Amino acid sequence: MRLAGKRAFVTGGRQGIGRGIVDAFMAEGATVTACGRGARPEGLPECVIWHCLDVSDPQAVEEIVGATGGTEILVNNAGVQVERTVTDSSDEDWDLVMGVNARGVFNICRAFIPIMSAGSSIINIGSISGNVADPSMALYNASKAFVHGLTRSIAVDHGPDVRCNAICPGWIETGMLDAGFDLATDPAKAKSDALARHAVNRFGKPADIAAMAVWLASDESAFATGQLFTIDGGMTAASPLNPGLF
Amino acid sequence: MMLNGKIALVTGARGGIGRAIVARFVKEGATVFAADLTAEGSMDRHDDDGSHFVKLDVTQEADAIAAMDHVRERHGKLDILVNAAGIEIEKTVEETTLEEWNQSFAVNSTGTFLTSKYAIPLMREAAKSGSSASLINFGSYDGFIADPGLAAYCATKGAVHALTRAMACDHGPEGIRVNAICPGYIDTPMLQSFFNGDGSGGGGGNIETLQKAVRDVHPMRTYGTPTDIANLVNWLASDEARYASGQLWVLDGGLSAQVQQMKL
Repeated sequence: MRLAGKRAFVTGGRQGIGRGIVDAFMAEGATVTACGRGARPEGLPECVIWHCLDVSDPQAVEEIVGATGGTEILVNNAGVQVERTVTDSSDEDWDLVMGVNARGVFNICRAFIPIMSAGSSIINIGSISGNVADPSMALYNASKAFVHGLTRSIAVDHGPDVRCNAICPGWIETGMLDAGFDLATDPAKAKSDALARHAVNRFGKPADIAAMAVWLASDESAFATGQLFTIDGGMTAASPLNPGLF
Repeated sequence: MMLNGKIALVTGARGGIGRAIVARFVKEGATVFAADLTAEGSMDRHDDDGSHFVKLDVTQEADAIAAMDHVRERHGKLDILVNAAGIEIEKTVEETTLEEWNQSFAVNSTGTFLTSKYAIPLMREAAKSGSSASLINFGSYDGFIADPGLAAYCATKGAVHALTRAMACDHGPEGIRVNAICPGYIDTPMLQSFFNGDGSGGGGGNIETLQKAVRDVHPMRTYGTPTDIANLVNWLASDEARYASGQLWVLDGGLSAQVQQMKL
């Protein structure tokens, strides 16, 4: 087991990618603590410690992180999205998206780094949207670019003791993906168009992201730091032109 | 005039983008050597644009040496080199013959290498004047992300991107700046050939429909013109860009700034 004897802390561990990472870390022998904004989710294995935590609240973060006594693996996965352009976005949208996605990562890292031992690994969940823009997702796109920049900064400032990398997922099958297709005029056509843009001809699964998170958490990746690892089924390797045009 | 007194050589000078660069350089006061396989080039017409034609097959080392000797004899220096010569083969790896692969690299990558190799000593001389010399390569947005059925082309442009950074690193201390322009879809004979499906990778459907679909996926809702490219080449060639080196300058109407445009 690649993570035996290591403690892991995963934010946004309730569902989707975060839950996939919790499950994968447990399978590899880590002792996992997860947090989210609500009560302990049903079905979460008893051995996982759960904290109700809003990562955008610095005081609450300090209290809970201090109580953990430290961790060898930290995953900043908690994130929210608001589907608006700059001109449609309100101050409240800014506070929500930047509060969780940007300040939340900062809060957690600032609290944990001083109590992380040599050889620890921080894994931030960035996004392909931090490199190329999803339409009408202005604040989300910008918040993920912040995560990418912070990832490099932490790697530079806190190496060699702490490694810090980001994973940039593409389209991952979570409840939100199907909800998006349901809004389309022709959901089946929308889904087949989206699939045609993926070189592997499928969408990602939380386990695909968790697999990279396990590697980055393990000692196998001891020389990897400051990098962005894109896991998107080849989507951003291709030109954004309509598939089938040529 | 931004290029007054500067000596420039442009390869692929009679192609779509090359002609626009030559015209702009002449307008900005440069002495321009227009290098191509023939005076008519790929557009099959000869313009009296105020440039000096030099026959240059960029794949031939002897041609590169002769072209630079020609410049040396007249001016003793070269301030600006633009490696704009390029070809594309519209095929996948499986469909591409070894001969086509080699030809793609010979023109797009080796051609950039050869012309640069023999221009650099002349550019070093130019830099002694106190203002830096500027070497501008042609990469492509295809060097970052792939268009379907253009395997060899994508690979040659990736090589140009890496060579650009390598030359910037090696020759910066000598006063030579090296950058690459990475065009997206630019309205040239090469693009029309791609739309017409002259190669095996493209075309087949209605060309107007195809062109509109391609325009519509651009945030700017159009593809670029050779003038758009010449505008940036001119800036990079000028002393205004004196701190710009080792960079890949994407000019694609925003095409590659966006994620895949799913039809939702």
